[in-house]
Amino acid sequence: MQEETSTQELKDRVALIECMIAEGRRSTESWGWTFLLWGVAYYVAIGWEAMGQRLAIWGGNGLAWPVTMIAAVVVTILIAFRKDNGQPDTTVGRAVVSIWISVGISMLLLFPALSIAGRIDGHGFVAIVGAVLGIANGASGMILRWRMQMACAVVWWITSVAACFGSQAQVTVVFLTALFLCQIAFGAYAMILESRRRQNREAHA
Amino acid sequence: MPELPDLNPVIHGKLRLALLSLLTTVEEAEFTWLRARTGSTDGNLGAQLARLEEAGYVAVEKKFVQRKPQTLYRMTEAGRTALTEYVQALKQLLGESINV
Repeated sequence: MQEETSTQELKDRVALIECMIAEGRRSTESWGWTFLLWGVAYYVAIGWEAMGQRLAIWGGNGLAWPVTMIAAVVVTILIAFRKDNGQPDTTVGRAVVSIWISVGISMLLLFPALSIAGRIDGHGFVAIVGAVLGIANGASGMILRWRMQMACAVVWWITSVAACFGSQAQVTVVFLTALFLCQIAFGAYAMILESRRRQNREAHA
Repeated sequence: MPELPDLNPVIHGKLRLALLSLLTTVEEAEFTWLRARTGSTDGNLGAQLARLEEAGYVAVEKKFVQRKPQTLYRMTEAGRTALTEYVQALKQLLGESINV
């Protein structure tokens, strides 16, 4: 067989294998919206809590976090199911998603428990959220080799350390800034990238 | 002079090679996803997948999802071994290192 097979043909086969592996690995998943959604959810919870405290409305501040977080979980699940449009599972995709699901479950169990037990304050809350989101962003940034997400991890780690110092107002400002940069701005940036990638793919299809 | 290896004729087909390469990257893939990635026609894709299935290189699972038929293809261990051997043979024939 090799007698009939020219070197060029063999090189073409190599190029085909490389091209198809790259095509298969190219992520077709879009998760930028989850960052944006959760960033907005945190802002809503913080705003609701602050306003509720001041005006004694919307059930005071006790309902702000549970209601907002449960609503965000429900919306995330609903949108994720709607967006599951037959894309195959990749090992990388499953690794990243499993990190975020585990992080989400940990936070949803830990914070209500700490709150009920009365063993958490604003400093502790931001320190834990910062550390956990630093781990999740760092791990997925390393898996995806995505510098922008690694930068988000660094911002969360700085936030986590900063939360151990300063006044409650200062910690809140640091937390809101990190949320804006790493959830809202990063989520919007990821969505723009995903949209461009989709347009490129459609143009080349 | 060392003997040059034979290339597996089942894998050497362009579309079949493309399909096996794609399937190495995912756990399982739908027919429609494979069609979109390879840009081939339904008929040709179906025929080449059937050939790969016949050779034991891919496994097929048919099911219904929300009342719609879905055909899923998964690379078998034999397929993975055959593709690895094919790449080794290519490397030997080309006499250079290739990064796949």
